[in-house]
Amino acid sequence: MSRKAKGKRPVYFNDPENDKLLAITMAVAGELSVLRERLDTIERLASAKGLFSLNEIEEYRPDEQVSAEREKWRADYLERILRVVHHELESAEKGETPESYENALKLVSS
Amino acid sequence: MDGQLEHDILPRATQDELARQNFVQSLKTYLAGEISPGNKVVYEKRVKPAFERQHGRPPRDRRDVRQMMTSDPYYQMWSALQRTSQEMMWDAVSTSVERQLEELARKAGGLKRKLGSLTLDPSLPLPPYHAAVDIHCQPGGYHTELRKEDVTAGAIYDRAVYIYAMGRMGALNDDMGASVVAYLKKKYQGFRPAKILDMGCSVGHSTLPYVDAYPEAEVHAIDVAAPMLRYAHARAVALGRQVHFSQQNAESTNFPDESFDLIVSHILLHETSGKAVRNIMRECHRLLRKGAMAIHAEVPQYAGMDPYDAFMLDWDTYNNNEPFWGYLHDMDLRQLAVESGFDETTVAQTMVPSAFEQAKARTRLLQGGDFAGAGQWFLYVVGK
Repeated sequence: MSRKAKGKRPVYFNDPENDKLLAITMAVAGELSVLRERLDTIERLASAKGLFSLNEIEEYRPDEQVSAEREKWRADYLERILRVVHHELESAEKGETPESYENALKLVSS
Repeated sequence: MDGQLEHDILPRATQDELARQNFVQSLKTYLAGEISPGNKVVYEKRVKPAFERQHGRPPRDRRDVRQMMTSDPYYQMWSALQRTSQEMMWDAVSTSVERQLEELARKAGGLKRKLGSLTLDPSLPLPPYHAAVDIHCQPGGYHTELRKEDVTAGAIYDRAVYIYAMGRMGALNDDMGASVVAYLKKKYQGFRPAKILDMGCSVGHSTLPYVDAYPEAEVHAIDVAAPMLRYAHARAVALGRQVHFSQQNAESTNFPDESFDLIVSHILLHETSGKAVRNIMRECHRLLRKGAMAIHAEVPQYAGMDPYDAFMLDWDTYNNNEPFWGYLHDMDLRQLAVESGFDETTVAQTMVPSAFEQAKARTRLLQGGDFAGAGQWFLYVVGK
């Protein structure tokens, strides 16, 4: 079944693309909440089964190596999220323009 | 699962499905409690003064407020979030229900013919006001069927209403029916209706309180949508309540003249049309016995309401696929009653406390926040 309700969706912002971005962001926020809840379940089950306690999680202090691995992971993660910002700069540095892409189109079409 | 009563036909949710639904419910509560009140602040601080500068007078009605408020960035963000929360709610519930639709249909089939009755009429046309848009953004509306003997739309509705109301309609989503019953028990103590009709019953949330309040009465409930009625009947059986469900349009039913001592509806009228609401009121007049009454529970009328409150209450007209909402709440209900054959002296329009809110003393909160009679229902009463 279609998951869209029949009826035109209103536009709220001056740029309708922002409407879509907000809906996408909220969907991602929702999925993060789902993941957080699942992790919480795992922690509580582990605690109930005596594997480790919630307190042990709070008191856990990463050693130097773990800290470094986490730092690296966060940097990679941020790079993935902010990919488009990096790409825009790289594109500007290389002097890419809409015209340069048009030129490429012409190039392969001849 | 959460605060909703897990009767046999209620769809079950996996860990992630429930977490997804929990998020939507939290989002709605947060928007209502923490974001929406800011709309009043920006209205008072910048929107209203801007209107006054432009027009040399304060906003007179909800249209004046709408004209300026819809371009305010704070309102735009709240409104976009509110719409998104509504779409996420249906999405989170319908994906969960679709996963189990075969099992739910089988369960509903097993509950058939056990108590009360279910009479469907596949030849009944879908009213144009249900075909035009999917009301309150439920994909597929009340009527779409995905298989034979389908209950999907009803199952989605049962679960989603609980999330939509943020749990504040009680474990059985029965607050509107319970609030009308509380009104009747207080005001008409000796009233013993022999036959009761609930119009536009959907899954029977508000029907069941009448079965409990008047155990001697024969209770009928009608709706235009077959998947709602199949689910409603299975749900009533699962909860041990006897109701006779039939697929009929409240504008024109097959019940004989003067059949009922009490006719009720719960947020039915605003999901119809100008023409249909007149037909429904005339049909009520035809079906009521002498000395009997009809009570339609709704959200309040706009007349006499603060322009800002009316504007906020009218959000659904433009943003939640409720095209008739605003028109109905502007109507002169006294005149409508008189035109439908009722004596003017029998008409009452009154706010009654929500039975659930009274019992639990919860915070008053509508979707848009605390305004315009949150924690209360509007009753439109007519007598014959």
